[in-house]
Amino acid sequence: MISLNKRRTFLKVGFFSSAIVFTNGCDILGVEKLSDTIKVVQNDLFPKAKELHINISKYMNIIFQHSRVDETDKEFIKNGIKWLNEEAVKMFEVPYTKLSKSKRQEVLEGIAKYRWGENWIDNMMRYIFEAMLGDPLYSGNNEEAGWKWLGFKGGNPRPKELYL
Amino acid sequence: MKYDICIVGSGAGGSPIAYELSNAGYSVVVLEKGKNYTEKEFSKDELGVSRRDMFTPPLKEQKHIINEYSQSGEFTRYDGAESGWNFWNGSMVGGSSNLMSGYFHRMKPRDFKLRSSYGKIRGANVVDWAINYEELEPYYEKVERVVGVSGSAVKHKFEEPRSTKSFPYPALQTNGVTKWFDKACLELGFVSIPTPRAVLSQSANKRDACYYSNFCGSYGCASGAKGSARAALLQQCSAEVITDAFVYKLDSKDSKVTGAHYYDENLRSHTISASIFVLSAQAIESSRLLLNSKNKEFPNGLANSSGEVGKNLIFSAGGSGSGRFVFDKLTQTQQTELMQTGLFFNRSLQDWYDYDDGCRKYKGGTIDFLFEHQNIISRVNKELYDEDGNIMWGDKLAKKIEKSLKTSRVLTFEVFNDWLPTDNCNVSVDDKQTDKYGVPVGVINLSSHPHDLEVGEYLAKKAVEVLEEMGAVEIDYSISASPPPNLVAGGCRFGNDATNSVLDKNCKAHDLDNLYVSDASFMPTGGSVPYTWTIYANSFRVADIIKGRLSK
Repeated sequence: MISLNKRRTFLKVGFFSSAIVFTNGCDILGVEKLSDTIKVVQNDLFPKAKELHINISKYMNIIFQHSRVDETDKEFIKNGIKWLNEEAVKMFEVPYTKLSKSKRQEVLEGIAKYRWGENWIDNMMRYIFEAMLGDPLYSGNNEEAGWKWLGFKGGNPRPKELYL
Repeated sequence: MKYDICIVGSGAGGSPIAYELSNAGYSVVVLEKGKNYTEKEFSKDELGVSRRDMFTPPLKEQKHIINEYSQSGEFTRYDGAESGWNFWNGSMVGGSSNLMSGYFHRMKPRDFKLRSSYGKIRGANVVDWAINYEELEPYYEKVERVVGVSGSAVKHKFEEPRSTKSFPYPALQTNGVTKWFDKACLELGFVSIPTPRAVLSQSANKRDACYYSNFCGSYGCASGAKGSARAALLQQCSAEVITDAFVYKLDSKDSKVTGAHYYDENLRSHTISASIFVLSAQAIESSRLLLNSKNKEFPNGLANSSGEVGKNLIFSAGGSGSGRFVFDKLTQTQQTELMQTGLFFNRSLQDWYDYDDGCRKYKGGTIDFLFEHQNIISRVNKELYDEDGNIMWGDKLAKKIEKSLKTSRVLTFEVFNDWLPTDNCNVSVDDKQTDKYGVPVGVINLSSHPHDLEVGEYLAKKAVEVLEEMGAVEIDYSISASPPPNLVAGGCRFGNDATNSVLDKNCKAHDLDNLYVSDASFMPTGGSVPYTWTIYANSFRVADIIKGRLSK
């Protein structure tokens, strides 16, 4: 009972910091924190964002709490992380974050061949662009760095409050 | 309290009546499902407005069931919440007119007589309108002044007759690339028409002029220049607007509507009494409310003795296309012109509003040209796949995005032609699925006529000729049978025969003494233009009819 309550509290605290258990179907292959893998994979998918000091993690926290992002979409991000790790273990016998940069790219190329993998990368890219190019109020687009990269000025008036 | 007029829905179909009747001293109440936003609250927040749909209800709370029919009559069923197929256009005071681009074209005299001008088309339920262009013209003119239309009238083969020489507000400023367009049209022998816009080019009617924000369509207007039903009408009159009021049933007794029941945001029920009721909840929802209001006298739905409520739903047929202008092919001056943001493109072609392919005469349509929407996230998302359709990421993608956005710009076009009314395109209500209010959801049965695609193709090819002449690359277009949710009409046809129409020529229900339907539901055919100007004009016409009736 205690552990159940704890788990509920934990879920409430943060989907983003939750643990992902990945398996080969029978045995547990490893446990990773969702946020740790997301940070690494998002940087692998679009290093330009890090170069521009875009705070994608902070933005992803908004997405995981957003009333207008469906639970199924949130689950898909999480499942993708699990499957990505499973693919990494299948290919190189260690979780994604423990691999070298070039091997991580090989894993990404591997999953891009699957339908789920292509969809998942597509989704991740869209969230990365939202973080980079949304209004800075949403905490990703650091000092308009994303806009400046593309010579974009943003529309006026700018939002005064977040739409969540 | 009993009001003189109760209006259901605060968009372009209802607001002219609220404005006219309250200004004439009558008590008017408007029931609006959504919230109220004013100029101060509209921002250019792409994440909120375009990515998270802040102005439409969540589909898990309010949805439609969509049955998509094939030509052979089979259909596939889609649950709106599961499929994400969204037919909401703007739940807010002023409705979707807040979010329109305001490309305003009048319907032409021949649009009122489609059946007698072009003959019968097999499989299509085409009829002439119950009124003609001349009866609506004074109201088109009124909309130009009161709602505010900016433009300059140009002589061309299909120019509709005007009672005034030109528009009351001068044309909006345009981007330098319009000169390339005009030159190309001159070469090709086409007539370039400055697109009239429901956007004030100068301050008037207690509203500020357009400030060329670069983000017009899909966004609320922060200056009040856009002629939304809210800014142009509801904010300029004393009609009472009740927000968060979802009308779920109209009661009737002895051929009179006696009350409108609505739920507030806490799902508490309220009832409004009035002498006259006006329904203007946008085409699909107006039919749904009538069907959900069945009673002893009207077992098949209110005002539905003809069985025609919900029938002959139409959209705007056509599609869209684009071409890209790249720096490599341009001089430095042209490059600067191309990248100038804020100013409008505003050009249209109507040379083929009517055409002959050698076999028969066709009703054609309108082509509007405009720059690709400036939403930065959606523009970048379009770069995600390479030429072979493979997903990209990393530095390679970053370089592609940079090149595309910084050294080229896309000009798009939209084709508008008639969506022919057919038996399988209509609205009904579901017998199991309900919305968050517990009210049966609308079912949208979708079907299109192959003729629509044929005409759309013909027009798209003309647009392609212009883009080629202008020197665009990557020219592409798509004409499809998928319905644009924001260009919807029909479901409560007007006509002189009560056995095959819902409304009379005054847009009053044949079956009821005090019920009018004043959104686009009345339209038996839609013309080959966006509908909003015609919806406004007809609503001002109905307002005069109601005023005349009440003054007796």
